[in-house]
Amino acid sequence: MNDDFLIVDNVSKSYVGVHALKNVDLKISSGSIHCLVGENGSGKSTLIKAIAGVIPIDSGEIIINGKTYTHLHAIDSIREGIQVIYQDLSLFPNLTVAENISLIQMVEERKKFISWNEMEQIARRELDRIGIRLKVDDLVEDLSMANRQIVAIVRALTQDARLIVMDEPTTALTKGEIDSLFSLISDLKNNGISTLFVSHKLSEVLAISEKVAVLRDGMMVGDFETSDLDTNRLVFHMTGKEIVHSIFQYQGKKSGEPPLLELKDLTKKPNYSDINLSLFRGEILGITGLLGSGRTELALSLFGLNRPESGQIWIDGRFQTMRRPGDAIRAGISYLPEDRHSQGLFLQQSIGNNLIVTILSRILNKLRVISEKKKLESMNRYVRELRIKTPTLDTPAESLSGGNQQRVLFGKWLATDPKIFILDGPTVGIDIASKSEIHQLIKKLAQGGMGIIVISDEINEVFHNCNRILVMKNGRIAAEVDPQHTTEQELTDLVEKKNGVAS
Amino acid sequence: MSDRKLLKIKDTKIWILAFIMIGVIFVLALVLSGKFLTLRNFQSMAYQFPEFGLLALAMTIAMITGGIDLSVIATANLTGIIAAIIMTNYVNAENAGNPAALLFVVLAIIAALVTAAACGLLNGVLISLVGVPPILATLGTMIFYSGIGMAVTKGIGVVGFPESFLEIGAGKLSLFPIPLLIFIGCALVISFILNKTSFGLKLCLVGANPTASLFSGINNKVVIINTYMITGLLAGISSIIMISRFNSAKVGYGDTYLLQAILVAVLGGIDPYGGYGKVSGVVMGIIILQVLQNAFTLFGFTPYAKGLIWGLMLILVMIINFVTSRYQERSKILRMKDQGVIE
Amino acid sequence: MLDKLLKKHETYLFLIIIAYAVVVTSVNRSFMTFENLFDILRSGAGMGILAMGVLVALLSGGIDVSFTAVAISGGYIAVRVIMATGVDNLFAAFAISCSIGIVLGLINGLIISYFKLPTLIATLGTLNVFHGALTTFVGTESVNARQMPSCFVNFGSAKIITLVSEQGSKYGLSVFVIPLVAVIVLTWFILRFTMLGRGIYALGSNRESAKRAGFNITALQLFVYSYIGFLAGVMGVVFVSEVRWVNPVTLIGTELTVIAAVVIGGTKLTGGSGTILGTLLGVAIVTILYNTLVFLGLSAAWNNFFVGIIIIISIGITSYRNRIKNRKSLSFKT
Repeated sequence: MNDDFLIVDNVSKSYVGVHALKNVDLKISSGSIHCLVGENGSGKSTLIKAIAGVIPIDSGEIIINGKTYTHLHAIDSIREGIQVIYQDLSLFPNLTVAENISLIQMVEERKKFISWNEMEQIARRELDRIGIRLKVDDLVEDLSMANRQIVAIVRALTQDARLIVMDEPTTALTKGEIDSLFSLISDLKNNGISTLFVSHKLSEVLAISEKVAVLRDGMMVGDFETSDLDTNRLVFHMTGKEIVHSIFQYQGKKSGEPPLLELKDLTKKPNYSDINLSLFRGEILGITGLLGSGRTELALSLFGLNRPESGQIWIDGRFQTMRRPGDAIRAGISYLPEDRHSQGLFLQQSIGNNLIVTILSRILNKLRVISEKKKLESMNRYVRELRIKTPTLDTPAESLSGGNQQRVLFGKWLATDPKIFILDGPTVGIDIASKSEIHQLIKKLAQGGMGIIVISDEINEVFHNCNRILVMKNGRIAAEVDPQHTTEQELTDLVEKKNGVAS
Repeated sequence: MSDRKLLKIKDTKIWILAFIMIGVIFVLALVLSGKFLTLRNFQSMAYQFPEFGLLALAMTIAMITGGIDLSVIATANLTGIIAAIIMTNYVNAENAGNPAALLFVVLAIIAALVTAAACGLLNGVLISLVGVPPILATLGTMIFYSGIGMAVTKGIGVVGFPESFLEIGAGKLSLFPIPLLIFIGCALVISFILNKTSFGLKLCLVGANPTASLFSGINNKVVIINTYMITGLLAGISSIIMISRFNSAKVGYGDTYLLQAILVAVLGGIDPYGGYGKVSGVVMGIIILQVLQNAFTLFGFTPYAKGLIWGLMLILVMIINFVTSRYQERSKILRMKDQGVIE
Repeated sequence: MLDKLLKKHETYLFLIIIAYAVVVTSVNRSFMTFENLFDILRSGAGMGILAMGVLVALLSGGIDVSFTAVAISGGYIAVRVIMATGVDNLFAAFAISCSIGIVLGLINGLIISYFKLPTLIATLGTLNVFHGALTTFVGTESVNARQMPSCFVNFGSAKIITLVSEQGSKYGLSVFVIPLVAVIVLTWFILRFTMLGRGIYALGSNRESAKRAGFNITALQLFVYSYIGFLAGVMGVVFVSEVRWVNPVTLIGTELTVIAAVVIGGTKLTGGSGTILGTLLGVAIVTILYNTLVFLGLSAAWNNFFVGIIIIISIGITSYRNRIKNRKSLSFKT
């Protein structure tokens, strides 16, 4: 029986000599729940965009509902019933919920005039269908992340969608909201609507899907039955390698040694409240929790970008006020931000410039002018120490791979000789090989006496790299965990359960 | 394509610009030989372009930080008017030779520069502390500064400056007109600041990515405020030269310079989105423009015809930039492939 | 209800106008007369028409500074053609002017959508190109009141309502309000009731999303810039009739004031946000200031001074509020 709704047949796509997709095949049947996985750069987003008709393919065919397309346009894809919800949700923040939900339908119906009543009706009807209550007159920019996600999904459903593609939909959702999403996907299945779910969270992939398609380097490694897979197998298909984990050993603090960093009753509503923690030399402290738990907001406060309302920050026994990053840097704190591209790197500037931006005052000569010699010395030193793969110092930062870019960021901060290094999502979007190298680097730095805080979503990462883990929930520290005396599963449960009761 | 070579495309642009500059001068020399290739003609150009050149430098700096300064000309007019008022009120034909008069001239110049810096300060504060986008902030201050000038002068020019002051605009040191020397001095200083000081590097970085610079510990606010104060100062210096040459200060001088300043910046390789710019490129752009301007006058073009050509050039240069950046994208991807960074 | 009103930018603009009216009237009673009101309406009509175009451009996420060149080209050429052909008909005048406007607008649209140039710089270029082309190829001869074809003269002096003042002189509401109101209604209709309008808001709000939603970005941009061209064409005829003397070098230089008026009205430069009411209030403020400072005993020389201050304050307040909002959500997009 051939009820494949979508067939991607031998599709290839290159961008000026680079193969983004190479002879990719994929079959999605009606009413199925399919996942697409792959590392960064594997071609997932290119495949999605090709299916959506947003980019043209070089060769091969896309067959939707039995109809063959060699040149698929966005409007055709939409008409055939394919709806894509991108990671950024593609909503219009300045427009209302009603407009966002009904606009695509209006474009697709080639409407010339709009009736506000009609838009409102469509929106209410669709929201009711899912059983969600939202005020249709609200501007999307005023909604919470989870509600925005709902608007995006409802929008996708308005058009008799047959296939809904979701790109990393759970990154901003709480556990409860993820469960609701999953049951929504099951409902869709029961109505004959297929879902293609792109995610890097392997546990979720294995939980929800019936089949998993794995992309590696632009080629389809295989389309597997989920029942035949486990995490290790999946990682192996995605990377072609086996990974080995090693646990971090903390040397323990010397007696009487004061903490490197101490936070007392630090509060900034509504981000976080009553934070008390200490960090000692040589420790790697992990902070984990769901999105919205206040982790990054806390880190930003330590770096001078989010002034706390009350409480104290003590560094090496001295009280500090952080009003701007300059204060934090002077106090010995470095912060590696979550968003590498917009907060960390100057993409079009040279790697050399990216490396020395934090130590400009140190590479001046007697006349307060930049000393070429000191500048080059610093640049070369960090390229060497961190093994940054680049042909020259002048190469723009944007041409490096994710792993190398992260090394540049490490270099720029290590140049300031920090006492405390806060890493926010240090291995997000980095290939597995570089990931473990970065973990090695972090452990080495701790062994050298630096105090490190690792903020991460990935239980796996904090478990194997920290000697102590704090779990934050709703702006408070909910628990402290010692990886040597707990299991990963227990930690995961702690993070995901609500208010002390397992859901 | 090796990597050195790729980044050099930006530097290559400078060489191309240099070729164009020499080419243009050469062609014009051939076509207009008699009237063009005279010392007097070159000297007259050397008197005319510095005031514009300084305004173009000012615009360049603002653009490197990712902004723009629409108020440079209004600032120049206002500071010129203030200097003019001080001079004409305290110095007249009788006491012109008096050393006290010289003091007032100096005072007028200082007052002009202080006003100029204040104008720049207001811009910087609006942009960095209040958070107004540069186009809007400088649009508002442009109208405001020209409003002050208009209210004070009622549209009438302020005339009658002492000899000593007029020397600035008219005098020369051996072969070199004073305005030219002033311009060269300023260009060298700005170039030095941009290339050799940490402030200059910070300026570029703030323009390249203000979020990343904030996260890297750079104090964006201080950088922006200082940038616009420098911009204002350059406009102030320009106004001293302008009013000295015209022997009068009036609202509305130099209005056509705005488009030309942006043209020259873009021609000189400034990225309008910020983060990159070389003084040498801008200077060459200024020279090309001045030489063409001179030639057009010799040909008898009306100011509007010149405007037509500047407009066309601006659009053309931007289109060329667009095409070459597409080309750069392709080469970059090819290079990344070579290095095995991506498949 | 009240606090929703207080949140709106338009409320503050309205209050400023009322406050100003109160102050001026207390100094000089003749401010609050129909004669004055009609005067303001007549002077502001042109700016109002152009401002609708600027609003649409800003909503789409772009900007256009070339519209004054388009307006004067349309107006001047219409006058010359009518003088040359003798077809003394107002509709013909509008037809000629608006067609020129649409063509020039299309040129803008093509350059911007095909080459993806930054809109400020591109239209700064076309401003000079259009103006230069007009003066170089069509000429710079002035046309004075005696030579002006009667259709323009009549249009300029026609009134809808005529009243008699205390001194016995006649004054009236100029016919100019008709094209002004027509343009406002047309713009309102397009923005509020058509997919084109939604598309413009979507484009300005999030270009990539608009593309993904299936909107034709190129078509939208071509429409936006030809619409401004069309409106500029309308304004060109109004301008020529108002001034009863035309020379191709006039009008240029006022574009930034129109943009300032639209921005005072609360339209965001980044796109996707702005209202017709706000724009009209902004135009009202600028026009009133330009025309009525004389009631306070201040000459026209003070116009820019006050307009400049209002711009700085108004933009300052909106930008600052925006910045506070961003800081609260820890968004560091400066």
